Amino acid sequence: MWAAPPGRTVGAMTTQAFDPTSGDVLVVETAGLTKRFGERTVVASVELQVPRGVAFGYLGPNGAGKTTLIRVLLGLTPASGGSMRLLGMAVPERRAEALARVGAIVEEPRFHGHLTGRENLAIVAAARGRYAAARIDGALERLGLAARADDRVGTYSLGMRQRLGIARCLLADPELLILDEPMNGLDPAGIRDFRAFVRDFVAEGRTIVLSSHLLDEVEKTCDHVAIVDQGRVVVQGSIAALRDGGEHSVLVEVDDRPRARALLGAHPAVARVVDDGAALRAVLLDSESVPDLNTRLVDAGLRVARLEPGRASLEQRFLEITTRLENAA
Amino acid sequence: MTALTATLPTPRLVGADLLKLRRRRGLVAVVALLTVGTVVIANVIKELLHLSNSVTQGPAGGVTMLGHMAWTISALGAVAAAIVGSTSGSGDLDAGVYRDLVVTGRSRLALFASKIPAGLAFLVPFVAAAYALEAAASVVLAGGNPVPSIYLLTVTGLWTLLSVVFYYLLALGVACLVGSRSYTIGIVLAWRLALTPLLATITTLGVARELVPGVALDRLLPAALHDAARQGPRVGMSIAAVAAVLVVWAVAAVVAGAWRDTTRDA
Repeated sequence: MWAAPPGRTVGAMTTQAFDPTSGDVLVVETAGLTKRFGERTVVASVELQVPRGVAFGYLGPNGAGKTTLIRVLLGLTPASGGSMRLLGMAVPERRAEALARVGAIVEEPRFHGHLTGRENLAIVAAARGRYAAARIDGALERLGLAARADDRVGTYSLGMRQRLGIARCLLADPELLILDEPMNGLDPAGIRDFRAFVRDFVAEGRTIVLSSHLLDEVEKTCDHVAIVDQGRVVVQGSIAALRDGGEHSVLVEVDDRPRARALLGAHPAVARVVDDGAALRAVLLDSESVPDLNTRLVDAGLRVARLEPGRASLEQRFLEITTRLENAA
Repeated sequence: MTALTATLPTPRLVGADLLKLRRRRGLVAVVALLTVGTVVIANVIKELLHLSNSVTQGPAGGVTMLGHMAWTISALGAVAAAIVGSTSGSGDLDAGVYRDLVVTGRSRLALFASKIPAGLAFLVPFVAAAYALEAAASVVLAGGNPVPSIYLLTVTGLWTLLSVVFYYLLALGVACLVGSRSYTIGIVLAWRLALTPLLATITTLGVARELVPGVALDRLLPAALHDAARQGPRVGMSIAAVAAVLVVWAVAAVVAGAWRDTTRDA
Protein backbone atom coordinates (compact mmCIF):
# COMPACT_ATOMS: atom_id res chain seq x y z
CA MET A 1 0.00 0.00 0.00
CA TRP A 2 1.37 3.39 -0.96
CA ALA A 3 1.29 5.15 2.36
CA ALA A 4 1.90 8.69 3.48
CA PRO A 5 1.39 10.95 6.43
CA PRO A 6 -1.97 10.11 8.01
CA GLY A 7 -4.87 12.28 7.09
CA ARG A 8 -2.99 14.35 4.58
CA THR A 9 -4.08 14.97 1.05
CA VAL A 10 -1.57 15.75 -1.63
CA GLY A 11 -3.23 17.38 -4.59
CA ALA A 12 -5.78 14.95 -5.97
CA MET A 13 -4.10 12.00 -4.29
CA THR A 14 -5.30 10.90 -0.89
CA THR A 15 -2.54 9.35 1.16
CA GLN A 16 -2.92 6.51 3.56
CA ALA A 17 -1.06 5.83 6.77
CA PHE A 18 0.96 2.75 7.57
CA ASP A 19 -1.27 0.21 9.26
CA PRO A 20 0.33 -0.84 12.54
CA THR A 21 -2.17 -3.66 12.90
CA SER A 22 -0.91 -5.34 9.74
CA GLY A 23 1.74 -7.22 11.67
CA ASP A 24 4.61 -5.14 10.29
CA VAL A 25 6.97 -3.39 12.66
CA LEU A 26 8.19 0.12 12.17
CA VAL A 27 11.90 0.64 12.63
CA VAL A 28 11.64 4.39 12.20
CA GLU A 29 8.57 6.28 13.24
CA THR A 30 8.25 10.02 13.62
CA ALA A 31 5.28 12.15 14.59
CA GLY A 32 5.27 15.85 13.86
CA LEU A 33 9.04 15.88 13.87
CA THR A 34 10.27 19.43 13.35
CA LYS A 35 13.67 21.07 13.26
CA ARG A 36 14.14 24.79 13.05
CA PHE A 37 17.31 26.84 12.79
CA GLY A 38 16.20 30.25 13.98
CA GLU A 39 13.25 31.28 11.85
CA ARG A 40 14.00 28.71 9.17
CA THR A 41 12.13 25.41 9.35
CA VAL A 42 14.25 22.69 7.80
CA VAL A 43 12.24 19.64 8.88
CA ALA A 44 8.54 20.43 8.92
CA SER A 45 6.28 18.18 10.95
CA VAL A 46 7.52 14.99 9.35
CA GLU A 47 5.49 11.81 9.80
CA LEU A 48 7.86 9.12 8.62
CA GLN A 49 7.11 5.43 8.85
CA VAL A 50 9.75 2.94 7.81
CA PRO A 51 8.74 -0.73 7.98
CA ARG A 52 11.22 -3.43 8.95
CA GLY A 53 13.07 -5.40 6.29
CA VAL A 54 13.00 -2.93 3.42
CA ALA A 55 15.37 -0.70 1.52
CA PHE A 56 13.82 2.69 2.12
CA GLY A 57 14.76 5.67 0.00
CA TYR A 58 14.44 9.14 1.49
CA LEU A 59 14.25 11.07 -1.72
CA GLY A 60 14.32 14.76 -2.30
CA PRO A 61 16.22 17.57 -3.96
CA ASN A 62 19.29 19.14 -2.43
CA GLY A 63 18.32 21.35 0.50
CA ALA A 64 15.09 19.46 1.16
CA GLY A 65 16.11 18.66 4.73
CA LYS A 66 17.17 15.04 4.25
CA THR A 67 20.46 15.24 6.13
CA THR A 68 18.93 17.32 8.90
CA LEU A 69 16.23 14.72 9.48
CA ILE A 70 18.88 12.02 9.73
CA ARG A 71 20.89 14.14 12.17
CA VAL A 72 17.81 14.63 14.33
CA LEU A 73 16.99 10.91 14.26
CA LEU A 74 20.51 10.05 15.38
CA GLY A 75 20.62 12.64 18.15
CA LEU A 76 23.34 14.69 16.50
CA THR A 77 21.16 17.75 16.85
CA PRO A 78 18.05 18.11 19.00
CA ALA A 79 14.56 18.25 17.50
CA SER A 80 12.57 21.46 17.82
CA GLY A 81 9.33 19.53 18.16
CA GLY A 82 7.56 16.23 17.65
CA SER A 83 8.53 12.72 18.66
CA MET A 84 10.42 9.81 17.17
CA ARG A 85 11.09 6.13 17.72
CA LEU A 86 13.96 4.04 16.46
CA LEU A 87 13.58 0.25 16.49
CA GLY A 88 10.44 0.79 18.55
CA MET A 89 12.29 2.77 21.23
CA ALA A 90 11.53 6.39 22.05
CA VAL A 91 14.36 8.75 21.24
CA PRO A 92 16.03 10.59 22.92
CA GLU A 93 14.77 8.82 26.07
CA ARG A 94 16.23 5.44 25.01
CA ARG A 95 18.71 6.77 22.52
CA ALA A 96 21.75 4.76 23.63
CA GLU A 97 19.79 1.51 23.59
CA ALA A 98 18.32 2.20 20.16
CA LEU A 99 21.56 3.37 18.56
CA ALA A 100 23.39 0.29 19.78
CA ARG A 101 21.75 -1.55 16.85
CA VAL A 102 21.84 1.28 14.32
CA GLY A 103 24.64 2.00 11.89
CA ALA A 104 24.80 5.35 10.17
CA ILE A 105 26.79 7.47 7.79
CA VAL A 106 25.93 11.14 7.86
CA GLU A 107 27.12 13.07 4.83
CA GLU A 108 30.42 11.69 3.59
CA PRO A 109 32.18 9.17 5.83
CA ARG A 110 35.15 10.75 7.61
CA PHE A 111 38.11 9.08 9.29
CA HIS A 112 41.38 9.77 11.03
CA GLY A 113 43.66 9.87 8.00
CA HIS A 114 46.76 9.02 10.01
CA LEU A 115 45.28 5.73 11.19
CA THR A 116 44.77 2.56 9.19
CA GLY A 117 41.35 1.33 8.16
CA ARG A 118 41.47 -1.33 10.84
CA GLU A 119 42.48 1.17 13.52
CA ASN A 120 39.66 3.52 12.53
CA LEU A 121 37.21 0.67 12.97
CA ALA A 122 38.82 -0.23 16.29
CA ILE A 123 38.15 3.29 17.57
CA VAL A 124 34.45 3.06 16.81
CA ALA A 125 34.36 -0.50 18.12
CA ALA A 126 35.71 0.80 21.42
CA ALA A 127 32.73 3.13 21.63
CA ARG A 128 30.32 0.40 20.55
CA GLY A 129 31.19 -2.19 23.14
CA ARG A 130 33.10 -5.39 23.58
CA TYR A 131 31.39 -7.41 20.83
CA ALA A 132 32.04 -4.83 18.12
CA ALA A 133 35.80 -5.41 18.04
CA ALA A 134 35.24 -9.03 17.08
CA ARG A 135 33.31 -7.91 13.99
CA ILE A 136 36.11 -5.80 12.50
CA ASP A 137 37.68 -8.49 10.34
CA GLY A 138 34.31 -9.71 9.06
CA ALA A 139 33.20 -6.19 8.18
CA LEU A 140 36.42 -5.46 6.31
CA GLU A 141 36.11 -8.77 4.46
CA ARG A 142 32.48 -8.16 3.53
CA LEU A 143 33.25 -4.75 2.05
CA GLY A 144 36.30 -6.00 0.17
CA LEU A 145 38.81 -4.00 2.19
CA ALA A 146 40.72 -6.77 3.93
CA ALA A 147 43.76 -6.36 1.69
CA ARG A 148 44.04 -2.63 2.43
CA ALA A 149 42.95 -2.77 6.06
CA ASP A 150 46.40 -1.98 7.40
CA ASP A 151 47.05 0.95 5.07
CA ARG A 152 46.55 4.49 6.30
CA VAL A 153 43.11 5.82 5.41
CA GLY A 154 44.77 8.93 4.04
CA THR A 155 45.77 6.79 1.06
CA TYR A 156 42.23 5.51 0.38
CA SER A 157 40.11 6.61 -2.57
CA LEU A 158 36.69 8.16 -1.99
CA GLY A 159 35.02 4.90 -2.96
CA MET A 160 37.13 2.96 -0.48
CA ARG A 161 36.20 5.44 2.22
CA GLN A 162 32.53 4.90 1.41
CA ARG A 163 33.01 1.17 1.82
CA LEU A 164 34.99 1.64 5.02
CA GLY A 165 32.16 3.82 6.28
CA ILE A 166 29.70 1.00 5.71
CA ALA A 167 32.12 -1.45 7.33
CA ARG A 168 32.15 0.84 10.35
CA CYS A 169 28.36 0.67 10.47
CA LEU A 170 28.44 -3.12 10.42
CA LEU A 171 30.34 -3.19 13.72
CA ALA A 172 26.98 -2.59 15.39
CA ASP A 173 25.50 -5.70 13.76
CA PRO A 174 22.80 -3.20 12.82
CA GLU A 175 19.14 -3.90 12.49
CA LEU A 176 18.87 -0.52 10.84
CA LEU A 177 21.36 1.17 8.56
CA ILE A 178 20.96 4.88 7.80
CA LEU A 179 23.07 6.13 4.92
CA ASP A 180 23.22 9.69 3.66
CA GLU A 181 23.86 9.92 -0.09
CA PRO A 182 25.79 6.63 -0.08
CA MET A 183 26.32 6.55 -3.83
CA ASN A 184 28.46 9.69 -3.86
CA GLY A 185 31.95 8.91 -5.03
CA LEU A 186 31.22 5.36 -6.12
CA ASP A 187 32.22 4.28 -9.61
CA PRO A 188 29.82 2.10 -11.68
CA ALA A 189 31.29 -1.10 -10.26
CA GLY A 190 31.03 0.32 -6.76
CA ILE A 191 27.39 1.26 -7.33
CA ARG A 192 26.65 -2.25 -8.58
CA ASP A 193 28.34 -3.74 -5.52
CA PHE A 194 26.47 -1.35 -3.27
CA ARG A 195 23.13 -2.42 -4.74
CA ALA A 196 24.08 -6.04 -4.17
CA PHE A 197 25.03 -5.20 -0.61
CA VAL A 198 21.66 -3.55 -0.04
CA ARG A 199 19.82 -6.57 -1.44
CA ASP A 200 21.79 -8.96 0.76
CA PHE A 201 21.38 -6.77 3.81
CA VAL A 202 17.62 -6.52 3.37
CA ALA A 203 17.41 -10.26 2.64
CA GLU A 204 18.74 -10.80 6.15
CA GLY A 205 15.62 -9.08 7.47
CA ARG A 206 17.40 -5.82 8.21
CA THR A 207 16.42 -2.36 7.10
CA ILE A 208 18.27 0.31 5.18
CA VAL A 209 17.23 3.93 5.00
CA LEU A 210 19.19 5.81 2.41
CA SER A 211 18.77 9.43 1.53
CA SER A 212 19.43 10.55 -1.98
CA HIS A 213 18.57 13.18 -4.53
CA LEU A 214 19.05 10.66 -7.33
CA LEU A 215 15.64 9.36 -8.42
CA ASP A 216 17.06 6.72 -10.68
CA GLU A 217 19.34 5.30 -8.00
CA VAL A 218 16.59 5.15 -5.43
CA GLU A 219 14.32 3.40 -7.91
CA LYS A 220 16.98 0.80 -8.67
CA THR A 221 18.09 0.27 -5.09
CA CYS A 222 15.01 0.67 -2.89
CA ASP A 223 11.62 -0.94 -2.61
CA HIS A 224 10.06 1.75 -0.42
CA VAL A 225 10.44 5.48 -0.65
CA ALA A 226 9.45 8.74 0.97
CA ILE A 227 9.54 11.83 -1.18
CA VAL A 228 10.48 14.95 0.71
CA ASP A 229 10.27 18.50 -0.46
CA GLN A 230 11.00 21.67 1.52
CA GLY A 231 11.27 19.70 4.76
CA ARG A 232 7.95 17.90 4.35
CA VAL A 233 7.31 14.27 3.45
CA VAL A 234 5.06 14.54 0.44
CA VAL A 235 4.30 10.87 0.04
CA GLN A 236 5.71 7.53 1.19
CA GLY A 237 5.21 3.83 0.58
CA SER A 238 6.40 1.10 -1.77
CA ILE A 239 7.77 2.14 -5.13
CA ALA A 240 5.58 -0.38 -6.92
CA ALA A 241 2.48 1.07 -5.32
CA LEU A 242 3.60 4.57 -6.19
CA ARG A 243 3.98 3.65 -9.82
CA ASP A 244 0.57 1.93 -9.90
CA GLY A 245 -1.02 4.91 -8.25
CA GLY A 246 -0.08 7.12 -11.18
CA GLU A 247 -1.62 7.64 -14.57
CA HIS A 248 -2.26 4.61 -16.76
CA SER A 249 -0.81 4.79 -20.22
CA VAL A 250 -0.12 2.61 -23.20
CA LEU A 251 2.84 2.68 -25.54
CA VAL A 252 1.97 2.42 -29.23
CA GLU A 253 4.40 1.85 -32.10
CA VAL A 254 2.89 2.09 -35.58
CA ASP A 255 3.96 2.74 -39.17
CA ASP A 256 2.09 6.05 -39.49
CA ARG A 257 2.58 7.96 -36.27
CA PRO A 258 0.71 11.20 -37.20
CA ARG A 259 -2.45 9.29 -38.19
CA ALA A 260 -2.25 7.11 -35.11
CA ARG A 261 -1.85 10.15 -32.93
CA ALA A 262 -4.97 11.71 -34.41
CA LEU A 263 -6.98 8.52 -34.06
CA LEU A 264 -5.93 7.91 -30.47
CA GLY A 265 -6.43 11.54 -29.50
CA ALA A 266 -10.00 11.41 -30.72
CA HIS A 267 -10.85 8.40 -28.58
CA PRO A 268 -12.95 9.31 -25.50
CA ALA A 269 -10.86 7.05 -23.21
CA VAL A 270 -7.62 8.87 -24.04
CA ALA A 271 -6.69 11.96 -22.06
CA ARG A 272 -3.77 12.93 -24.26
CA VAL A 273 -1.15 11.53 -26.58
CA VAL A 274 2.53 12.39 -26.36
CA ASP A 275 5.38 11.35 -28.61
CA ASP A 276 8.07 9.70 -26.47
CA GLY A 277 10.43 9.41 -29.42
CA ALA A 278 10.48 5.64 -29.72
CA ALA A 279 6.68 5.35 -29.51
CA LEU A 280 3.47 7.22 -28.85
CA ARG A 281 2.32 7.30 -25.24
CA ALA A 282 -1.45 7.46 -24.85
CA VAL A 283 -2.44 8.52 -21.35
CA LEU A 284 -5.70 6.74 -20.51
CA LEU A 285 -8.76 7.81 -18.60
CA ASP A 286 -9.94 4.20 -18.68
CA SER A 287 -7.37 1.43 -18.50
CA GLU A 288 -9.92 -1.11 -19.86
CA SER A 289 -10.02 0.62 -23.23
CA VAL A 290 -6.73 -0.78 -24.59
CA PRO A 291 -8.34 -3.51 -26.78
CA ASP A 292 -10.68 -0.91 -28.23
CA LEU A 293 -7.76 1.34 -29.10
CA ASN A 294 -6.01 -1.55 -30.83
CA THR A 295 -9.14 -2.30 -32.87
CA ARG A 296 -9.46 1.32 -33.91
CA LEU A 297 -5.86 1.46 -35.14
CA VAL A 298 -6.08 -1.84 -37.05
CA ASP A 299 -9.46 -0.94 -38.60
CA ALA A 300 -7.89 2.27 -39.86
CA GLY A 301 -5.31 0.19 -41.75
CA LEU A 302 -2.36 0.96 -39.49
CA ARG A 303 0.29 -1.70 -38.83
CA VAL A 304 0.69 -1.96 -35.04
CA ALA A 305 4.19 -3.14 -34.21
CA ARG A 306 3.88 -2.69 -30.44
CA LEU A 307 1.14 -2.07 -27.94
CA GLU A 308 2.06 -2.39 -24.29
CA PRO A 309 1.26 -0.84 -20.93
CA GLY A 310 3.35 2.18 -20.18
CA ARG A 311 5.25 1.72 -16.93
CA ALA A 312 5.63 5.00 -15.09
CA SER A 313 9.05 5.63 -13.68
CA LEU A 314 9.59 7.04 -10.23
CA GLU A 315 10.79 10.20 -11.90
CA GLN A 316 7.49 10.61 -13.75
CA ARG A 317 5.52 10.05 -10.55
CA PHE A 318 7.79 12.43 -8.65
CA LEU A 319 7.17 15.12 -11.24
CA GLU A 320 3.43 14.47 -11.20
CA ILE A 321 3.31 14.80 -7.42
CA THR A 322 5.45 17.90 -7.19
CA THR A 323 3.52 19.50 -10.07
CA ARG A 324 0.27 18.91 -8.18
CA LEU A 325 1.82 20.44 -5.09
CA GLU A 326 2.97 23.48 -7.01
CA ASN A 327 -0.45 23.87 -8.60
CA ALA A 328 -2.14 23.51 -5.22
CA ALA A 329 0.10 26.13 -3.63
CA MET B 1 24.12 0.01 33.27
CA THR B 2 23.45 2.92 35.57
CA ALA B 3 23.42 6.52 34.44
CA LEU B 4 26.70 7.10 36.24
CA THR B 5 28.59 4.17 34.77
CA ALA B 6 27.30 5.06 31.31
CA THR B 7 29.17 8.36 31.54
CA LEU B 8 32.44 6.81 32.68
CA PRO B 9 35.12 6.09 30.10
CA THR B 10 35.87 2.43 29.55
CA PRO B 11 39.43 1.12 29.21
CA ARG B 12 38.67 0.48 25.52
CA LEU B 13 37.69 4.10 24.98
CA VAL B 14 40.79 5.32 26.74
CA GLY B 15 42.90 2.94 24.67
CA ALA B 16 41.26 4.22 21.48
CA ASP B 17 42.00 7.84 22.38
CA LEU B 18 45.57 6.93 23.27
CA LEU B 19 45.92 5.17 19.92
CA LYS B 20 44.86 8.34 18.08
CA LEU B 21 47.67 10.24 19.82
CA ARG B 22 50.51 7.78 19.70
CA ARG B 23 49.99 7.04 16.01
CA ARG B 24 50.67 10.67 15.14
CA ARG B 25 54.36 10.48 14.37
CA GLY B 26 54.78 14.23 14.21
CA LEU B 27 53.17 14.66 17.61
CA VAL B 28 55.36 11.98 19.15
CA ALA B 29 58.48 13.59 17.70
CA VAL B 30 57.58 17.11 18.84
CA VAL B 31 56.65 16.04 22.37
CA ALA B 32 59.79 13.92 22.66
CA LEU B 33 61.90 16.85 21.51
CA LEU B 34 60.22 19.31 23.89
CA THR B 35 60.74 17.05 26.87
CA VAL B 36 63.40 14.35 26.70
CA GLY B 37 65.25 15.98 23.80
CA THR B 38 65.53 19.31 25.54
CA VAL B 39 66.95 17.78 28.71
CA VAL B 40 69.47 15.69 26.81
CA ILE B 41 70.59 18.55 24.60
CA ALA B 42 70.84 21.04 27.47
CA ASN B 43 72.85 18.69 29.69
CA VAL B 44 75.17 17.58 26.90
CA ILE B 45 75.94 21.17 25.92
CA LYS B 46 76.38 22.27 29.52
CA GLU B 47 78.67 19.35 30.34
CA LEU B 48 80.75 19.82 27.19
CA LEU B 49 81.19 23.48 28.05
CA HIS B 50 82.20 22.52 31.57
CA LEU B 51 84.70 19.96 30.33
CA SER B 52 86.18 22.44 27.88
CA ASN B 53 86.57 25.21 30.48
CA SER B 54 85.83 24.24 34.06
CA VAL B 55 86.89 27.68 35.36
CA THR B 56 84.18 29.72 33.69
CA GLN B 57 81.60 26.96 33.13
CA GLY B 58 80.18 25.14 36.13
CA PRO B 59 79.05 21.48 36.12
CA ALA B 60 75.81 20.46 34.41
CA GLY B 61 74.40 19.07 37.67
CA GLY B 62 73.60 20.30 41.13
CA VAL B 63 70.65 22.00 42.81
CA THR B 64 70.72 25.23 40.81
CA MET B 65 70.86 23.41 37.50
CA LEU B 66 68.00 21.21 38.67
CA GLY B 67 65.99 24.37 39.31
CA HIS B 68 66.77 25.80 35.88
CA MET B 69 65.90 22.56 34.15
CA ALA B 70 62.77 22.04 36.23
CA TRP B 71 61.60 25.42 34.96
CA THR B 72 62.56 24.44 31.41
CA ILE B 73 60.73 21.10 31.62
CA SER B 74 57.73 22.84 33.12
CA ALA B 75 57.62 25.54 30.45
CA LEU B 76 58.26 23.28 27.48
CA GLY B 77 56.09 20.63 29.11
CA ALA B 78 53.30 23.20 29.07
CA VAL B 79 53.92 23.69 25.36
CA ALA B 80 53.74 19.93 24.88
CA ALA B 81 50.62 19.80 27.04
CA ALA B 82 49.00 22.51 24.93
CA ILE B 83 49.76 20.58 21.74
CA VAL B 84 48.62 17.22 23.12
CA GLY B 85 45.56 18.66 24.87
CA SER B 86 44.43 20.53 21.79
CA THR B 87 44.99 17.49 19.60
CA SER B 88 43.13 15.26 21.99
CA GLY B 89 40.27 17.71 22.49
CA SER B 90 39.63 18.70 18.91
CA GLY B 91 41.08 15.74 16.99
CA ASP B 92 37.76 13.99 16.43
CA LEU B 93 36.09 17.25 15.39
CA ASP B 94 38.90 18.18 13.03
CA ALA B 95 38.83 14.73 11.44
CA GLY B 96 35.03 14.83 11.19
CA VAL B 97 34.59 11.58 13.11
CA TYR B 98 32.99 13.00 16.24
CA ARG B 99 29.52 12.41 14.83
CA ASP B 100 30.45 8.82 14.04
CA LEU B 101 31.32 8.29 17.68
CA VAL B 102 28.14 10.00 18.84
CA VAL B 103 25.91 7.82 16.66
CA THR B 104 27.21 4.74 18.43
CA GLY B 105 24.93 5.80 21.28
CA ARG B 106 27.87 6.08 23.66
CA SER B 107 27.48 8.88 26.20
CA ARG B 108 29.09 12.08 24.98
CA LEU B 109 30.38 12.63 28.48
CA ALA B 110 32.17 9.28 28.36
CA LEU B 111 33.65 10.20 24.97
CA PHE B 112 34.97 13.42 26.51
CA ALA B 113 36.12 11.93 29.79
CA SER B 114 38.21 9.23 28.10
CA LYS B 115 40.44 11.95 26.68
CA ILE B 116 41.70 12.88 30.14
CA PRO B 117 43.43 9.60 31.06
CA ALA B 118 44.38 8.95 27.43
CA GLY B 119 46.14 12.29 27.00
CA LEU B 120 47.89 11.98 30.33
CA ALA B 121 48.94 8.41 29.51
CA PHE B 122 50.54 9.80 26.38
CA LEU B 123 52.11 12.94 27.86
CA VAL B 124 53.21 12.02 31.38
CA PRO B 125 55.72 9.31 30.37
CA PHE B 126 57.61 11.83 28.22
CA VAL B 127 57.69 14.39 31.04
CA ALA B 128 58.56 11.75 33.62
CA ALA B 129 61.37 10.43 31.44
CA ALA B 130 62.69 13.94 30.87
CA TYR B 131 62.64 14.68 34.57
CA ALA B 132 64.20 11.32 35.44
CA LEU B 133 67.08 12.13 33.09
CA GLU B 134 67.45 15.57 34.60
CA ALA B 135 67.32 14.18 38.12
CA ALA B 136 70.05 11.70 37.27
CA ALA B 137 72.12 14.39 35.57
CA SER B 138 71.73 16.75 38.53
CA VAL B 139 73.29 14.09 40.76
CA VAL B 140 75.81 12.45 38.47
CA LEU B 141 77.08 15.69 36.92
CA ALA B 142 76.99 17.76 40.12
CA GLY B 143 80.76 18.03 40.32
CA GLY B 144 81.52 20.51 43.11
CA ASN B 145 77.94 21.83 43.24
CA PRO B 146 75.52 20.85 46.04
CA VAL B 147 73.81 17.55 45.22
CA PRO B 148 70.00 17.61 45.45
CA SER B 149 68.50 15.41 48.10
CA ILE B 150 66.07 12.60 47.38
CA TYR B 151 63.32 14.70 48.93
CA LEU B 152 64.13 17.69 46.74
CA LEU B 153 64.28 15.49 43.63
CA THR B 154 60.94 13.94 44.49
CA VAL B 155 59.14 17.19 45.27
CA THR B 156 60.56 18.93 42.23
CA GLY B 157 59.50 16.01 40.06
CA LEU B 158 55.98 16.09 41.43
CA TRP B 159 55.84 19.85 40.89
CA THR B 160 56.93 19.42 37.27
CA LEU B 161 54.30 16.75 36.67
CA LEU B 162 51.62 18.81 38.38
CA SER B 163 52.41 21.77 36.17
CA VAL B 164 52.21 19.71 32.98
CA VAL B 165 49.04 17.89 34.04
CA PHE B 166 47.40 21.21 34.88
CA TYR B 167 48.18 22.71 31.48
CA TYR B 168 47.01 19.54 29.75
CA LEU B 169 43.61 19.80 31.45
CA LEU B 170 43.44 23.49 30.59
CA ALA B 171 44.28 22.82 26.94
CA LEU B 172 41.82 19.93 26.70
CA GLY B 173 38.99 22.03 28.08
CA VAL B 174 39.77 24.98 25.84
CA ALA B 175 40.10 22.73 22.78
CA CYS B 176 36.68 21.18 23.36
CA LEU B 177 35.23 24.60 24.04
CA VAL B 178 36.54 26.37 20.94
CA GLY B 179 36.75 23.27 18.73
CA SER B 180 40.00 24.36 17.13
CA ARG B 181 43.47 22.95 17.64
CA SER B 182 45.40 25.99 16.46
CA TYR B 183 43.38 28.50 18.48
CA THR B 184 43.82 26.36 21.58
CA ILE B 185 47.58 26.17 21.24
CA GLY B 186 47.73 29.93 20.76
CA ILE B 187 45.49 30.65 23.74
CA VAL B 188 47.26 28.31 26.17
CA LEU B 189 50.77 29.31 25.16
CA ALA B 190 49.95 33.00 25.29
CA TRP B 191 48.53 32.48 28.76
CA ARG B 192 51.39 30.35 30.04
CA LEU B 193 54.39 32.02 28.45
CA ALA B 194 53.34 35.65 28.06
CA LEU B 195 50.44 36.64 30.27
CA THR B 196 51.33 34.67 33.40
CA PRO B 197 54.80 36.21 33.90
CA LEU B 198 53.43 39.61 32.95
CA LEU B 199 50.57 39.47 35.46
CA ALA B 200 52.88 38.09 38.16
CA THR B 201 55.11 41.17 37.92
CA ILE B 202 52.28 43.74 38.14
CA THR B 203 52.43 44.39 41.86
CA THR B 204 49.47 46.76 41.76
CA LEU B 205 47.26 43.74 41.14
CA GLY B 206 48.01 42.69 44.72
CA VAL B 207 46.28 39.54 45.87
CA ALA B 208 44.44 39.27 42.56
CA ARG B 209 47.65 37.75 41.21
CA GLU B 210 46.96 34.72 43.35
CA LEU B 211 44.16 33.84 40.93
CA VAL B 212 46.69 33.23 38.17
CA PRO B 213 47.45 29.50 38.11
CA GLY B 214 51.09 30.03 37.11
CA VAL B 215 51.58 32.15 40.20
CA ALA B 216 49.99 29.46 42.33
CA LEU B 217 52.22 26.81 40.77
CA ASP B 218 55.30 28.90 41.49
CA ARG B 219 54.27 29.02 45.13
CA LEU B 220 54.62 25.23 45.26
CA LEU B 221 58.22 25.29 44.10
CA PRO B 222 60.60 23.81 46.68
CA ALA B 223 62.36 26.60 48.56
CA ALA B 224 65.70 24.84 48.08
CA LEU B 225 65.60 25.67 44.37
CA HIS B 226 65.60 29.35 45.32
CA ASP B 227 64.74 31.48 42.32
CA ALA B 228 66.24 29.14 39.74
CA ALA B 229 62.84 27.77 38.71
CA ARG B 230 60.79 30.93 39.15
CA GLN B 231 59.49 33.21 36.39
CA GLY B 232 58.33 36.17 38.43
CA PRO B 233 58.32 37.42 42.00
CA ARG B 234 57.15 35.09 44.74
CA VAL B 235 53.59 35.87 45.76
CA GLY B 236 52.72 34.72 49.24
CA MET B 237 49.80 32.26 49.24
CA SER B 238 48.60 29.57 51.58
CA ILE B 239 48.72 25.99 50.32
CA ALA B 240 44.93 25.86 50.58
CA ALA B 241 44.66 28.93 48.35
CA VAL B 242 47.09 27.39 45.87
CA ALA B 243 45.09 24.16 45.78
CA ALA B 244 41.82 26.06 45.39
CA VAL B 245 43.13 28.16 42.49
CA LEU B 246 44.50 25.17 40.61
CA VAL B 247 41.45 23.00 41.22
CA VAL B 248 38.99 25.73 40.23
CA TRP B 249 40.86 26.51 37.02
CA ALA B 250 41.23 22.85 36.06
CA VAL B 251 37.65 21.94 36.93
CA ALA B 252 36.30 25.01 35.16
CA ALA B 253 38.22 24.17 32.00
CA VAL B 254 37.16 20.52 32.07
CA VAL B 255 33.51 21.31 32.83
CA ALA B 256 33.38 23.94 30.08
CA GLY B 257 34.87 21.49 27.60
CA ALA B 258 32.54 18.70 28.68
CA TRP B 259 29.53 21.00 28.45
CA ARG B 260 30.45 22.06 24.92
CA ASP B 261 31.10 18.50 23.81
CA THR B 262 27.79 17.26 25.16
CA THR B 263 25.70 20.07 23.73
CA ARG B 264 27.24 20.85 20.36
CA ASP B 265 25.59 19.86 17.09
CA ALA B 266 27.68 16.90 16.00
